[in-house]
Amino acid sequence: MTALVPPELVFACGAEPFDVNNVIPESKRYPKSKLCAWTAIWSEMLVNKEIEIDSLIVVAGGDCHNALVDGQKVQRSGIPTHFFFYPFDGNPEYLESQLESLSGFLGGVRYPGKFREISKLKKLGKKIDEKRCNGRISPADAFRILISFSDLCGDLNKLETAISSVREQKIELNNRIALIGVPPIYSDIHEVAQELGLQVVFDELPFEFIRHSGNDIHSTARDYCGYTFARPLDFRFGFLKKELEKRKVDGVIHYTQFACHHMLEDEILRDELDCPVLTIQGDMPGKTPEQVKLRLEAFGEMIGRQP
Amino acid sequence: MIGLDVGSTTAKAVRIVNGEITYEITGTHNWKDLIKGVDKEEIISTGYFRKSVPHKANVTEITAAIYGVRHCYPDADVIVDIGGQDTKVIDVTKNNFTINDKCSAGTGAFLEFVANYFKLELEELGTLHLKAKAIPEINNTCGVFAVSEMISQLVAGYSKEEVIAGMHYAFARRISFMVPEAETLVLIGGTVKNKGMVSALREIIRGKIMIPDEPQVINALGALKYYNQDIE
Repeated sequence: MTALVPPELVFACGAEPFDVNNVIPESKRYPKSKLCAWTAIWSEMLVNKEIEIDSLIVVAGGDCHNALVDGQKVQRSGIPTHFFFYPFDGNPEYLESQLESLSGFLGGVRYPGKFREISKLKKLGKKIDEKRCNGRISPADAFRILISFSDLCGDLNKLETAISSVREQKIELNNRIALIGVPPIYSDIHEVAQELGLQVVFDELPFEFIRHSGNDIHSTARDYCGYTFARPLDFRFGFLKKELEKRKVDGVIHYTQFACHHMLEDEILRDELDCPVLTIQGDMPGKTPEQVKLRLEAFGEMIGRQP
Repeated sequence: MIGLDVGSTTAKAVRIVNGEITYEITGTHNWKDLIKGVDKEEIISTGYFRKSVPHKANVTEITAAIYGVRHCYPDADVIVDIGGQDTKVIDVTKNNFTINDKCSAGTGAFLEFVANYFKLELEELGTLHLKAKAIPEINNTCGVFAVSEMISQLVAGYSKEEVIAGMHYAFARRISFMVPEAETLVLIGGTVKNKGMVSALREIIRGKIMIPDEPQVINALGALKYYNQDIE
């Protein structure tokens, strides 16, 4: 899968989901031709059979526009590929038809109990998120768990074990930060931010991974219609504002990816949000570069000067 | 105490003695010359190398710029710091900042391309600009490709002085895209010593533009002020 596809349905059809983005932040690959490094790297790796998959589900409508083309490159290499579209207007009947079509691609629902099983697991994910927001779990640990909910590690037991092994600790929350936008391509940004006095208490996209669920295709379609990244900006910002207020956020880091259309949202987002915003633009994967550390450090100093 | 700013291109040290600001400037890699005989506990550092040089405390150049500029112009709304490798725009009223370090167009490096091409010292660009009789239209494209644009304009018949002036306008337009509307704008950084570039900026950017007497040492001064805000 190239982005958020209801993993409930994939499991229920007896398949094992794998989010191809998982391998990117640690990747050392320099893609030959690229706009966004996220999609360019998974596309090249899939074409070269460096990620073992039987078939690919591309989220082509309502999130990543580059995936529409990069997904077709993979399709042309011979991998069975299905294109999944979210409705911009949130129409549940449309999403239900998309899920039915996906179910058909995967051979139909064979294990309907997986829906409820995953719904329970997502409740554990919400607890992790809550504890992190209260300073009882480190931002990096919480992020690693939440981001895993896109494919649930392809193994529900493995994810449950990972959740139960998260160590509780006491984190001082003096600069509460919301990290919004696509997930950063840097593998250690949560740790780096924390070292520089910024504690991430909200990860926008990973929160979407634990927020939606359903007991069957019908109810899943209705819940996933609220997936903010696929909806108009007003819908997404309306949701964000409430979430930022609830989490008492002091500042927002807006992560943008080079050559990603989400960069265009930065200006509107700055107008909409009533708190300090730092925009970071990443390009190639790896550790957080020094230029980004400088921005994070200066942002911390800036929040410290807030009246 | 001294404020030590070790940036990408130059190193600057500032002292305030009996209310008087004194400073020294050298190349980045000669920074040790600035702190001969000075104890680590006497140094407040800033700039790219702020954590690599001896220091009692360090602060980012963004915060240092705010404190340094405030010393000279307490009512500044926006600070534009044009450095050797990046340009920082700090909106003091909104407590916000942006940094351009991905593209050399709009940084001191861009003007170095121009000076290198004409085999000139950087300082000469400003003087030559003032002799230009016409300004060729040069796109705000990549600093690396700027040389081919300069050649095109020379082939088209523009003089060296005019092409340099055109480059300054291209540079100023690039900077202006980063600058929010403001009543008072303060320019700092070594590049601001270039009179041609400043005159292009004055023409393009609305609002009152102010430049401190020694724009290159403001961050070193700011580091000092940040640590000891009571120094007059």
